[in-house]
Amino acid sequence: MNRKIPLRTRVALYGLLCVLAIPFVFPTWWMVTSSFKPIADIFSYPPKLFPTNPTFSAYKDVFDGRPFVQQYVNSLYIAALVTAGTMIVSSLAGYAFARIKFRGQNALFLVVLVGLLIPSEVTIVPLFQMFNDLGLVDTHWPLILVPIFGAPSVMATFIMRQFFISLPNELEEAARIDGIGYFGTFWRIALPLAKPALGAVAIFTFLQSWNLYLEPVVYLSSPEMFTLPQALTQYVDSYGGAMWNVQLAAASLTAVPVLVVFVIAQKQFIEGLAHTGLK
Amino acid sequence: MPVSPPTAVADPLKSGSATAGQPPRPPFWTRRRRDQLAGFAFITPQLLGSAVFVLLPIALVFRYSLHEWNVLAGDFSYTGGDNYTQLLDDANLPEVLKSTALFSVGLVVLNLSLALLLAVLLNQKLRGMTVFRTLFFSPVVVSLVAWTIVWGFLLQNNGGINGLLHTVGIDGPNWLRGEGTAMFSVIVVQVFKNVGLNMVLFLAALQGVPKELYEAARVDGAGAWVRFRSITLPLISPTILLTSVITIVGSLQVFAQIAVLTQGGPKLSTTVLVYYLYQQAFQFHHFGYGATLSILLLLIVLALTVLQWQMRKRWVFYES
Amino acid sequence: MMIRRGLATVAAAMSATLVLAACGGEDSKDDKSPVSLRMTVWTANKPHLQLFNDIAAEYMKTHPEVKEIKFDPLPFESYSTALTTQMTGGNAPDLAWVFEKDAADFVSSGALVPLDDTLKQTSGYQYEDLIPSTTKLWKSDDKLYAYPFSTSPFGVFVNRDLLKQAGQQTPDELAKAGKWDWTTVLAEGAEVHRSTGKAGLVIRDFEYKEWSNAATFWGGWKAEPWSADGKTCTFNSTPMVDAMTTLHKGIFEDKAMPGPGETADFFTGDAAMTITQISRASLLENAKFDWDLVPLPAGPAGDYSVIGQAGVGVVKRGGHTKQAKDFLAYFTNPENSAKLAAYFPPPRESQLTAENLAKTNPLLKNEQLESVVVNGVKKGVVKPGHAGQAELAQRVRAGLDPLWTPNANVKGVLDDLCKNISPLLEK
Repeated sequence: MNRKIPLRTRVALYGLLCVLAIPFVFPTWWMVTSSFKPIADIFSYPPKLFPTNPTFSAYKDVFDGRPFVQQYVNSLYIAALVTAGTMIVSSLAGYAFARIKFRGQNALFLVVLVGLLIPSEVTIVPLFQMFNDLGLVDTHWPLILVPIFGAPSVMATFIMRQFFISLPNELEEAARIDGIGYFGTFWRIALPLAKPALGAVAIFTFLQSWNLYLEPVVYLSSPEMFTLPQALTQYVDSYGGAMWNVQLAAASLTAVPVLVVFVIAQKQFIEGLAHTGLK
Repeated sequence: MPVSPPTAVADPLKSGSATAGQPPRPPFWTRRRRDQLAGFAFITPQLLGSAVFVLLPIALVFRYSLHEWNVLAGDFSYTGGDNYTQLLDDANLPEVLKSTALFSVGLVVLNLSLALLLAVLLNQKLRGMTVFRTLFFSPVVVSLVAWTIVWGFLLQNNGGINGLLHTVGIDGPNWLRGEGTAMFSVIVVQVFKNVGLNMVLFLAALQGVPKELYEAARVDGAGAWVRFRSITLPLISPTILLTSVITIVGSLQVFAQIAVLTQGGPKLSTTVLVYYLYQQAFQFHHFGYGATLSILLLLIVLALTVLQWQMRKRWVFYES
Repeated sequence: MMIRRGLATVAAAMSATLVLAACGGEDSKDDKSPVSLRMTVWTANKPHLQLFNDIAAEYMKTHPEVKEIKFDPLPFESYSTALTTQMTGGNAPDLAWVFEKDAADFVSSGALVPLDDTLKQTSGYQYEDLIPSTTKLWKSDDKLYAYPFSTSPFGVFVNRDLLKQAGQQTPDELAKAGKWDWTTVLAEGAEVHRSTGKAGLVIRDFEYKEWSNAATFWGGWKAEPWSADGKTCTFNSTPMVDAMTTLHKGIFEDKAMPGPGETADFFTGDAAMTITQISRASLLENAKFDWDLVPLPAGPAGDYSVIGQAGVGVVKRGGHTKQAKDFLAYFTNPENSAKLAAYFPPPRESQLTAENLAKTNPLLKNEQLESVVVNGVKKGVVKPGHAGQAELAQRVRAGLDPLWTPNANVKGVLDDLCKNISPLLEK
């Protein structure tokens, strides 16, 4: 069915795509390559595409006197917990909003949706007070509990709901007649079908937690409790002069693994996202 | 806060079914009642979370807005509507709202058009499209802090962008220091960071448009633009609406980029509402007034959402 | 670079306010069992910390009532807010470094305890040795609330190679000819930029946002942002307008300085001259060019000098004020003050000599130390600060923005600025 695209158009298309790709790729490229440059070369004008005198010294300094490994572990385990928790909470709620008919359903859905609309700057003060009263400041609990149950999980619930709505209902009806109960239907029938949406939720939630900046800064004060984005801002010398190369090295260390995972799994990643029923 | 354990959800239902089996009384556990219970059980974690971590804080913010709260001095005193009067008298506010509107509109327009353009390009049957798709999407997974810092370098007057423009003979503006260009820069940085998301959603929508429609239109002699306008756009309108909702709401929450790139300047040209709120509350310690601005922000977001919901009903060629 | 600084400050300010909002005060808890002391500092520099730890170890040998002294580095950029966070969050340090710009807020707030009694009573302390001009900022009602352990003057670092390359005279030659003044400096800067493409003069960390660093320029006109009592705006006074007019011309017409949004780092060789504190000399350890350090050039109002200060005080809410005061007296006694002078110019008359400083500042020559440091400390005007600094600084920043455009009406902008900040000053 598809017509062959003429060569000239193809060349033009590729050219256009390449030009368009520059602003998407160059910043990351610059970040990674600059981390191998001596500090004087970072600001050279015009910017250099490749480090002329590559050096690894910045990478050595990343770990020098700072609990960077611990901070990496913190970020990883918090993100993992938040991801798992959000998947449970949002798939349960999303399923109920999509599939089970109950009174107050729409009103409650709207109530939950409010979380989607609230900037975190608005609620962070009362939240901080609550956690402070509970003695949970400078622990990881706020960073785990709020994303799983609070506003950040609402987007996940929304995605799950939309996905379940788009699923055909017959299988579940059949299962329910078989008498495996609501939870059985959900767990054994609906959830396996929802893998693409769950994948998208997982990816999103993980990224969100991994990149969370403001909340850790607000709740955490000991360096060994810090998460990565927060740790990134700590690379300064004694006069507040930024150690740019070290910071870029640390930034690369936090970004590159995620990028690699993304590139390997990009198909699942993007297609999972595309088929979440968000259309 | 505990997640309701799965068994706790399932068990009452089973016992419910058992009760339901006993004649002659009409079964208490009708389908409706069981649905009601199960529905509530399933949404309980989310609902409680919303109550504790969203609604309660909003209520508290409203309470703060009725108080004068100087956190440095430790004063917290009821002032009634004083903060709201101040809101109406605030000479900076019109400019802040203007910046906010400019930012949101600019972001939505640029983001959606670029996303759609990229999606249409990537939807061509050409080899290597996956590679480009990956490239366009990659900023989404890069940390916002790192992304913004790097762009901050590139947008310096003697930075990478102007270096590039210079080589093709253009004298670039001083991006972050001009009132117009600063706003433009902040928008563009944000667009490149997140346009991949909308692009993917559009791509999925485009792939859902039946090919036969295009073939038919082509037979009728419709050109590419006409086909796009009369087939593609209407069929993907639900996606356009959805992405615009997400993007607009997101645009009202953008904050770190502004803090990093322009700190709200030059003058107030990039001081959007969230940033102004932050300054008042956290930098100047006028907490009660900050809370009042939060309430204003909340009302704006709600109004926009309702508006878009109405538009959805009216304009969108839609599903069930 | 301001970029990341913005974010760090934002975050710290946020957390500070939150803790402020959520926490009450804490009572003093002096008691008999051995205590741990903690001092917040903004240096994470290893030799600095090593020195502090050595002094602390020596102190603890003779003071069993203190079992640990910890130096806690907080990030420089967000230091003040992070410190406030800790103080009000029930985690106050026992001792804290304080910036000069925060002195007004700290000294008058009752956050710190007076030190003079303890210091005066400590044998061999030589309290009278402290130079009055260095302690002025840290006193309230004649009580000393913080010890100015670092009084660091601003000077001009010069890349002699670059000046020569541009065919310009070096500052030592100019000084001999009596021409080390702003007119010459701006002319030379412009010429450097014209002939080499590099930057002429950079006011470090100014970046058209941190305007208080521009005090190193307008000091030459004896201009002040506000009156001595802090109540009246003087941004639109004649000296300030003259200074700003010259600055504006230097930036936009002569191109003697990099314009807004342009970066040039002196220490990597991209600028001929830079104004900054002398402590930055350490960045020149591996410099590949011939450099010099000279005092600020004279302005129309004559010679002047500007200093940045850092004080260390005892925090009331830290709880161990008695032990902390005692340790502070030891930390800053003549013997240790001499050690600290390796990195921080001391406030002691007897130690503030070029010979003395030269022992520990191998990068700097005697005459550089004499002209910039010794004279600077004795005559210097401290960078501007005011109670309610954050809001004021932000208003001034926004008010000055229109000035940093090529066709600005200097007087008009400064008049508007005064109109804008007067209500804050009058409060």
